[in-house]
Amino acid sequence: MKTVRFSVYRFDPSSDKKERYATYEVPYKTGMTVLDGLLYIKERLDHTLAIRYSCRMGICGSCGMTVNGLPRLACYTQVKEVGWSLKVEPLRNHPHVRDLVTNFDEFFKKHKSVKPWLVRTDSREQESPTSQYLQSDAELEKYIQFSYCISCGLCYSACPVVSSLPEFPGPQALALLYRYLADSRDQSRSERLKIVDEAVGIWRCHFAGSCSQVCPKGVDPALAIQLLRREMMRG
Amino acid sequence: MREKNVMLLHYLSGVGILIFGGIHLFTVFFTRPLGETVWETTLLFEGHQFAILEVYRNMLLASSLWFLLLFTTFHGLNGLRVILIELFPNRAVRSATRYVLLFLGFALMVYGTRTIVIAHMIR
Amino acid sequence: MRATRAQSRSYSTVLKTMLLPAGYSVERWSYTLQRVTGVVVTLYFVLHVVETGNFIGGPGVWYVPSKDFAASYYEQVKELLHNPIFDAGLVIIGWMVAFHTINGLRLTLAHFGITLGKPTRVDPESPPRSFSNYQRAIFWASIALATFAAVYSVDALFGVLSG
Ligand code: FES
Repeated sequence: MKTVRFSVYRFDPSSDKKERYATYEVPYKTGMTVLDGLLYIKERLDHTLAIRYSCRMGICGSCGMTVNGLPRLACYTQVKEVGWSLKVEPLRNHPHVRDLVTNFDEFFKKHKSVKPWLVRTDSREQESPTSQYLQSDAELEKYIQFSYCISCGLCYSACPVVSSLPEFPGPQALALLYRYLADSRDQSRSERLKIVDEAVGIWRCHFAGSCSQVCPKGVDPALAIQLLRREMMRG
Repeated sequence: MREKNVMLLHYLSGVGILIFGGIHLFTVFFTRPLGETVWETTLLFEGHQFAILEVYRNMLLASSLWFLLLFTTFHGLNGLRVILIELFPNRAVRSATRYVLLFLGFALMVYGTRTIVIAHMIR
Repeated sequence: MRATRAQSRSYSTVLKTMLLPAGYSVERWSYTLQRVTGVVVTLYFVLHVVETGNFIGGPGVWYVPSKDFAASYYEQVKELLHNPIFDAGLVIIGWMVAFHTINGLRLTLAHFGITLGKPTRVDPESPPRSFSNYQRAIFWASIALATFAAVYSVDALFGVLSG
């Protein structure tokens, strides 16, 4: 039977002194994803392995990890597309918790800082909308792509700017900022434009495109950020 | 200055370098007969019609060189500032780099302007 | 809590992320190259201002020198700089200047959404709209032009093409 070699990053800060890579042989099954392999390890080979996952179908965005050097969703990545020997590490740029688990507090804080919700100038309307806000197809297409984000943090982990400048909002937050800016139902354009206009804000994006390359949902954060930059220059 | 305006100047100075740097390259390189090195032609002090000193003696070319100096100083040092912001995310280092780079830019402008003016006046 | 590699921001990881983006797309390599060439060309620019200053007599000269003085100083500096090592360095600078210029133009356009695709409904099969062919074509054009510039500077500095 064909087996897949998993080399998994192990480190538990409460007991381990040094990080190490543990190797496991997992029998291959057709259609096996990286997450399937890790769950096999956890069930049969080593119960102490810590991983985070939930939906197993690329919807919840909790199983992000670095597989063979690139950030990927473990449940969304077929073993077949990466190879028979896998190196699985935690996501970069996120604080490490244990084994393959990383902490997303900082990431979600940045997400929240761009006000990812629709804002109406009329506060009564904001609290209890009186009608539906209609949109044309063209208006919808301006932002619909960016609203597919599942906040899995892969783009944040791939971004070279985040890795050197931890204060940078990251591709996810900036793309979501543009998603609400471009929405015809939103009424807080001038406030939104102020949020990331600073030395460590949007101007530090250099269009390295890694965010769009690793995004599992086709959101294309790089495109959103460049369009956001255009809006910011326009003022 | 707001970051937005600094970066706008960064893009504009880049385009400026494209124009004035093009003129600079043209006067230094493309007036050279193929096969002869610039050391024998452009960079001769005297005695060749395309010698670099001629470029400085021409008022228009000399002032285009000055604009090239201005734009490149700004563009280059601002680029360094961007990289340093990313490499050292520390507020104290950030403000220190700003003053060091401002001083460096000022020194470059003074020294370069002197070269252009004096070369323009050598007879 | 002890800091691990995945957790700490060490300069070796930062520099590796910046300079060796193995596995990533050409946009990421353009970012790395733009950065490296930018720094090198800026250093060259500083040296160039210093060196052209030397050609008219060095930092001691703040008035118009006599022509003979300037000419002899010029020859002296030229003697120092005119050697194969510096000339080869200038060929590399030529490559870098041409690359940084054209790629910089591409980035200036791309940074404002020009040459990129338009947002649409998500289509997981097609590559991201920002990886458009226009923008990539300009990247490869910058590489080609830079290589041409390097070849041209070999001729300009060593005189090999028709000499
Ligand atoms: S487990 Fe939900 S996205 Fe992978």
